[in-house]
Amino acid sequence: MNLEFTQEELDFQKSIRAWMRENVPEALERVSALGNMPTKSQQQQWERCLGKQGWLALTWPEQYGGPGWTATQRYIFDIERAMAGAPPTSPFGVAMVGPVIYTFGSPEQKERWLPGITSGETLWCQGYSEPNAGSDLASLKTRAERKQDHYLVNGQKIWTTQAHWADMMFCLVRTDPEAKKQQGISFLLIDMKTPGIEIRPIYSIDGHHHLNEVYFTDVEVPLENLVGQEGMGWTIAKFLLTHERTTIAGVADSYYALARMKQAIEDVPYYTDKPSARRRMAELEVELMALEYTNFRTVAATDEGKPFGPESSGLKIKGTELQQKMSQAMVEMGGLMSLAWDSSSVVGNESFNNAPRRYNFLRACTIYGGSNEIQKNVLAKMLLGL
Amino acid sequence: MEFNLSENTTMVADTARRYLKDHYGFVTYNEQLNQTSHCDPARWGLMMELGWLGLPFPETVGGYGGELIDVAMIVRELGAALCLDPYVDLVVAPGKLLEYIGSERAIGLLQSIVENNEKVACAFYECRAGYNIHKPTSSIRGGKLSGQKSFVPDGGCASKVLVTARLGEELVLLVVPLESCKITRYRALDGSRYVDLVFHDIVFEDGMILLRGAETSRVISQVVAWLQALDCARMYGAANALYQRTLEYAKTRKQFGAAIGSFQVIQHYLVDMFTDLQQLESMLFMVSVKAELGNAQERDRACSAAKAYYADKAVKIAQQAIQIHGGIGVTEELDIGHYFRLMTHCSLTHGHRDYHLDRLASLSEVNGLG
Repeated sequence: MNLEFTQEELDFQKSIRAWMRENVPEALERVSALGNMPTKSQQQQWERCLGKQGWLALTWPEQYGGPGWTATQRYIFDIERAMAGAPPTSPFGVAMVGPVIYTFGSPEQKERWLPGITSGETLWCQGYSEPNAGSDLASLKTRAERKQDHYLVNGQKIWTTQAHWADMMFCLVRTDPEAKKQQGISFLLIDMKTPGIEIRPIYSIDGHHHLNEVYFTDVEVPLENLVGQEGMGWTIAKFLLTHERTTIAGVADSYYALARMKQAIEDVPYYTDKPSARRRMAELEVELMALEYTNFRTVAATDEGKPFGPESSGLKIKGTELQQKMSQAMVEMGGLMSLAWDSSSVVGNESFNNAPRRYNFLRACTIYGGSNEIQKNVLAKMLLGL
Repeated sequence: MEFNLSENTTMVADTARRYLKDHYGFVTYNEQLNQTSHCDPARWGLMMELGWLGLPFPETVGGYGGELIDVAMIVRELGAALCLDPYVDLVVAPGKLLEYIGSERAIGLLQSIVENNEKVACAFYECRAGYNIHKPTSSIRGGKLSGQKSFVPDGGCASKVLVTARLGEELVLLVVPLESCKITRYRALDGSRYVDLVFHDIVFEDGMILLRGAETSRVISQVVAWLQALDCARMYGAANALYQRTLEYAKTRKQFGAAIGSFQVIQHYLVDMFTDLQQLESMLFMVSVKAELGNAQERDRACSAAKAYYADKAVKIAQQAIQIHGGIGVTEELDIGHYFRLMTHCSLTHGHRDYHLDRLASLSEVNGLG
């Protein structure tokens, strides 16, 4: 057993830290420090900056534009990124559709779509959920009918994060309504500027617009935008669920949140109850450490060529529960200061004024990406044999 | 022991429910969220007709001599309806304060509240003092009032504020016209309208003082006990509404070809919500009786226990309601997320969980094991 980074890894950490110090824009740092979300241009500017370094598609094979780092290096990078106050990369391109395309796509598709993802130029969104297909994703109904030279898409997607930012959507559609539930589903790439697509915003309880409904009315999608074969959509979706997810636990961003919490307490000179705040933060730190070391084991296993499978569901469960707990602690520590929802001037402390927005937003993290109840079903079935 | 509501209290609760059903819905709430004044003259008039403005006060001032439990049942219904009308903040809180002060001047002002001629808010809290209402930093020095008050729930429509400040070592309660303060208005977490006040060397006149000395602390504690009980009442109304809606949703929402309520994990979630709700109701009855007691220690123990319990369990019910609803639960479109914000809000007003656990611990220490 060895719990230390090697000298090379420590040197790597040092160089990443120095680079972050130079390159994370101050405005972005401030957004993160207050627990807010970046604007589209802030996010994209940052991702382009990483893209230029070749540091966007971290898990990808080098031939497609990955940096050729070990899982440990990627982990170190993620920590340094978060602690420097930079946001996580939008997952839809680099973590989701990219690996699908280089695993299942044709040479033409790889050539056409991968460069835009590694450079941060093309923004993607994920067309999975529908009003009646949430946890039960396989009951999705959005129809793609094969015509002479295109698919004709009709239907509706919902909870589509950043659809209003995206250039492209990867979408699960039903190509064969006669086939059994999972078998008639295909994986289609859709240009968001295609006529017949309508995006309607959904405002969430943090008061912001992240989510959308996306309506498709006779949307023509070129046949060459099908990834894999017709009917392979479900296999691809399942592949994504077990694809390397060593950052799914959100350890890096939780460490950053904890640091912000400590800072906020120190920033309020008249904070009356520091002992109990400190004790509470220590409790959170213990849980975070347990998550971190579990996460380290998945990282080490990945570097030994034995990547985790369904176990990553466990990381998602523990990681999201902790994110919620931490954001709730922040709100409670803020006390009355957490009540100032939209004051034009700071009431006591700005981090505490903002805390409820993040707390509210994070109620969704145990729901999105497969609710925690569904993750537990996966674990029970695939790991426990129940 | 006996836990039945009196006939009179039951009637108050039924009337409140009917009134809100007829005059306040989620649409009204959403309109009110965007308004800067939360005192709708039409509804204020109806509340007056229903007798709410006089309910908690003695008959001598034109009131109805109602008990805290009567007001709690109204506030429970206000919570269930997500109603933002600042009944507690602009009627009950200043009214009880003025009633307890009892001077001719205070009673005069109380009467104008009961008769709907004046809107008065209470300014007890400051960022610097946190939940400690007995040690404000606002003070009167050299004939001037200076300092600031935050989190004043004035509904965007008060003309006067009742302000705590220090005069030397003494705690005093002042009546200050809002127009003499520098103000910042904002929306609070639950959607209600708050105002922060800065006193820029307001010329102090003796006439501003409503109460001074040890009596001031005692009276404010009495009023805050009412407000703590009413926080619980509002949260109970919201928690019950969340439970009912979530139960209904679990019966109708279908996934995997079945109502999600047929899945054991959802059943257990809902049973947990139900059993917690029962205990929350018990705590509401308990605190609604004890927060009126003359024995300060017993009163405060009850209030702290109830507030700490609500900040834990009622908040959990709201979290669970969102989880069971899934995506739709985190949207502005559905009321679920709005109840959630209300719940967080009320778990932080008049003392949060840690504050109340600490206070309970110190009060219990004195009490020993008896």
